[in-house]
Amino acid sequence: MMNVNRYVLSRSLHFGQRLVSRSTRRAATDAERLQQRRSIRTQSRNLAYAKDLFLGQVNKAEVFPYPEIGNEEVEEINQLVAPVEKFFSEEVDSAKIDREAKIPEETLNGLKELGLFGIMVPEEYGGLGLSNTVYARLAEITSLDGSIAVTLAAHQAIGLKGILIAGNEAQKQKYLPKLASGEHIAAFCLTEPGSGSDAASITTRATLSEDGKHYLINGSKFWISNGDMADVMTVFARTEVVVDGVKKDKISAFIVERDKLGIRGRLAFSACEVSFDNVPVPVENVIGEVGGGFKVAMNILNSGRFSMGSSSAGMIKKLIELTSEYAATRKQFNKSLGEFGMIQEKFALMSINAFVMESMAYLTAGMMDRPGLPDCSLEAAMVKVFSSEGGWICTSEALQILGGLGYTKNYPYERYVRDCRILPIFEGTNEILRMYIALTGMQYAGKVLTGKIKEMKKGNIGLALGMVGKKLRASFGSSADLGLTGKDGVVHPSLAQSAKKFEQNVDLFGSTVESLLYRYGKTLVDEQLILKRVADVLINLYAMTAVLSRSSRSISIGLRNHDHEVLLTNTFCSDAFFKNNYWMTQLQKHSPENNDANIKKIAREVLENRAYVCSHPLERTF
Amino acid sequence: MKSARCLLQLQCLTLVGQSTRSAAQYGALLRAASSRRVFRHFHSGPARPKEQPIPAEFVNGDDKKRDRSLVAHDDLFERVAREVKTKATFNKVVDVFIKNDVRRRGHVEFIYAALKKMPEFGVERDLVVYNRLLDVFPKEVFVPRNFIQRMFNHYPRQQECGVQLLEQMENYGIMPNMETKVLLVQIFGEKGHPMRKFQRIMYWFPKFKHVNPFPVPKHLPEDPVDLARFSLTRIANDRDAKVTVHQLPCTDVTESGEQITLPHVVGIQSPSQVELLAKHNPNRPLFVEGPFPLWLRSKCVYYYVLRADPTPPEEKVEEPFDPERCLDYPLQLDLDLDRDLGDEESFDVEDLDEGPVFAMCMTGLGEQAVLNQWISGLQEDNPILGQVPTLFRLDAGPRELQGATDTESFHHHGPEPEYQKEERQPQEEPEVTLEEEPRTSQRMKR
Repeated sequence: MMNVNRYVLSRSLHFGQRLVSRSTRRAATDAERLQQRRSIRTQSRNLAYAKDLFLGQVNKAEVFPYPEIGNEEVEEINQLVAPVEKFFSEEVDSAKIDREAKIPEETLNGLKELGLFGIMVPEEYGGLGLSNTVYARLAEITSLDGSIAVTLAAHQAIGLKGILIAGNEAQKQKYLPKLASGEHIAAFCLTEPGSGSDAASITTRATLSEDGKHYLINGSKFWISNGDMADVMTVFARTEVVVDGVKKDKISAFIVERDKLGIRGRLAFSACEVSFDNVPVPVENVIGEVGGGFKVAMNILNSGRFSMGSSSAGMIKKLIELTSEYAATRKQFNKSLGEFGMIQEKFALMSINAFVMESMAYLTAGMMDRPGLPDCSLEAAMVKVFSSEGGWICTSEALQILGGLGYTKNYPYERYVRDCRILPIFEGTNEILRMYIALTGMQYAGKVLTGKIKEMKKGNIGLALGMVGKKLRASFGSSADLGLTGKDGVVHPSLAQSAKKFEQNVDLFGSTVESLLYRYGKTLVDEQLILKRVADVLINLYAMTAVLSRSSRSISIGLRNHDHEVLLTNTFCSDAFFKNNYWMTQLQKHSPENNDANIKKIAREVLENRAYVCSHPLERTF
Repeated sequence: MKSARCLLQLQCLTLVGQSTRSAAQYGALLRAASSRRVFRHFHSGPARPKEQPIPAEFVNGDDKKRDRSLVAHDDLFERVAREVKTKATFNKVVDVFIKNDVRRRGHVEFIYAALKKMPEFGVERDLVVYNRLLDVFPKEVFVPRNFIQRMFNHYPRQQECGVQLLEQMENYGIMPNMETKVLLVQIFGEKGHPMRKFQRIMYWFPKFKHVNPFPVPKHLPEDPVDLARFSLTRIANDRDAKVTVHQLPCTDVTESGEQITLPHVVGIQSPSQVELLAKHNPNRPLFVEGPFPLWLRSKCVYYYVLRADPTPPEEKVEEPFDPERCLDYPLQLDLDLDRDLGDEESFDVEDLDEGPVFAMCMTGLGEQAVLNQWISGLQEDNPILGQVPTLFRLDAGPRELQGATDTESFHHHGPEPEYQKEERQPQEEPEVTLEEEPRTSQRMKR
């Protein structure tokens, strides 16, 4: 149902409206629009929370206090959320959509009327012009139906995103208004039958016609969400570009209109194959520069994966409601289901997961809404990995609570489980994202480290002494103090213990990363199992940051039920602390906990055999 | 003299039915009358059986003659063999021996003779036959009854014979079964040498049964094309490799009445080899080399390879790193740090650059004309072969590849039939000598 696609959310269209109080909204939006246009091209990252963790540092100014939104925006959200929620609970029949594999026309019209097709399109182009934070809030509701979530995401998170972030003014004027109103639906055509993340295997080709006015596109694209109903598509194809006098094949992005080509929608819904046979596209429909498609694609993909955090959280919160109702009423052995420990554990798991995902998603969204368009792709990728895996586990545990009933089609659980299964796959598989997370950080830490080494070689004794001193201090077992608690602390004292654990983890992580860099150098790229653990530790660290920051704020401003948040935070932090310690122990040299060599060997033997290797246990030799 | 004896023994064989009955009667009599004496007699020592201690009145005339020596047992087999050598006849011989004499006189000699004859009868890999042979030993007689007997080598000749039998099984790779064990226990007791041998076999055989990761089936395919297919997949050891039969063996008669036999041409090539060949520099020649031998059990087949010389270092082009290759994560780390010495896990092996092998083939006739056919067949998948010069570097090794049966029907229409025949000779010879060997040794013993 939720077919493979990548959906990415809009980078940012607004200032974080939280800390800055503004008298008029309109004036600000104009200013930031200008700023946005400028900063697309400069991929500067002036925000480096996650990267700094690789150095064993906590850049606490970035994540404390937890981002807030202004009162006006809260009102705006409340105005928006209520009708959307009403629409989803009353007018959307998810079971029917699932059964028929098609979103009914009237449901689509309802979504269009609510403006959900242009949440992040600026108001001057007819959209709602909302921030990432509000987008995340709406995603919580739209995720209740997988098909609608995918359609919306494919439309605005990736489909029209190219035009939004890299298109010129004429393209925006021409396409955005109709896209924002939902009159036209957008699709994103990158994946090909033989090409996923590997740009080199893209075979679709665009050749300039003889008169030089058109590009002719040939090839086929696969797994295109909205492919069957899209009117405007962002298509990536190879073009011949002359670089330094040498002809090279580079990828370019094109806007292709549906009525100009013969698209065969092959699958009934959402995902389908789109093939191009000499489709003419005018030269002015190139997004960005010719040959600059790779950057455009990467920006679209990287920019927003964060909303999956709030979507998954929305789904889990809904499931908790449904299953707790059942667990409280169903009786076995004169006890209600909720009195059994193993059932209780499932509820705790679901709440903790929902809480962590939510915290991470809104922390990231808040970061993205800050002025200056910070690059939060690393954080967004972490949110995506954590929430897609957590969502999968939680939905299947929810189903488990109902037992056999949950498995039947009479209840929505199996649909949720099915829909959640796609989450770890699309938008960049979790494996690939882990590589991205670990390698980006490693590259950053490696640069800092080699810089230090160079300094020392030049004879900077102070630096060398400082490093030796740090090592000595660590070997004498002084506990790490990164200043989260105590004087100038940013974490509430009731979370001090969790904060200490977090600090200890961060400190150890920094030295682990350093030793990994010394040990493997640039060959670290090939050590996927190590990188996986590095990424997992970092995801946990970021999750700990998010919950610490959020609960500290909740306690401080006295939000309702903040004691429950403290409970969840402490539980999650101590759990994550032990997991992190274990993973980092595995990362030590000659660690007996580390089974990587064996794992590789098993896989190699299985793959050589291309089957399960062992003999059957019932076989005999004599 | 020889023919006379044969005559006599033939007669004996026809009389077997009657004579065994009489032997059985005598045996019953004997047992009833003086069983104790007989046992004592058996216990009396290993040296005795050689001396022919059997009282003449218990044996009829024919048997006496046969039991006189080892030659007699050999003869027994020879006689039957004259008709046809099969498992049935072998069993018949064993039956004759068993029914002949209830005391199984000369059974050690008989078993030795039988063991030697087994390959001739084609039963050397038949467990049932081995068990039958073991059954020839009298039961319970050789089981030690007290600690002194147990301490010393009790009935060494019999035990040795039992061990020899198990040894032959071992050599042919036959695993004993439960019946063997029961027989051994009945004959030699729980702790005799043959039992030890049995235990050792049962310890090692199961362990070694699957030790070869590339087992060769017991029965190789008869059809030369199937055999070539099997051997080529075995050498290539690549699951993706595709076997192509470029030409099936067939016999045609031309208009002039001349018979033409086309040899089979079977080739193998994997997709990665196709890829490798496509990248080959067309200015550098390719070589067809061979024949190289491949042994499959006792069969030898020959194959040819298409290969090139290793690319010289100056022509090697490393693919430039494309930073715009992966959409999701960096494929390389831009760092000055290399792997630490302590984490260097690669071995320091002297790297010899060998030339790539692009394809392999097997054919019924290793002639350039035939191999050319293979190359042109390969051209379908590898168009580059049309531009690359291909050199044939063929050894003058055996050209006839599929044994005598295949070559007999072969009539080459080319210019050098004489040469063909010469080539065939060395291939046939070893087979002949192999067959000849046992016969000559027999004759010598006679």
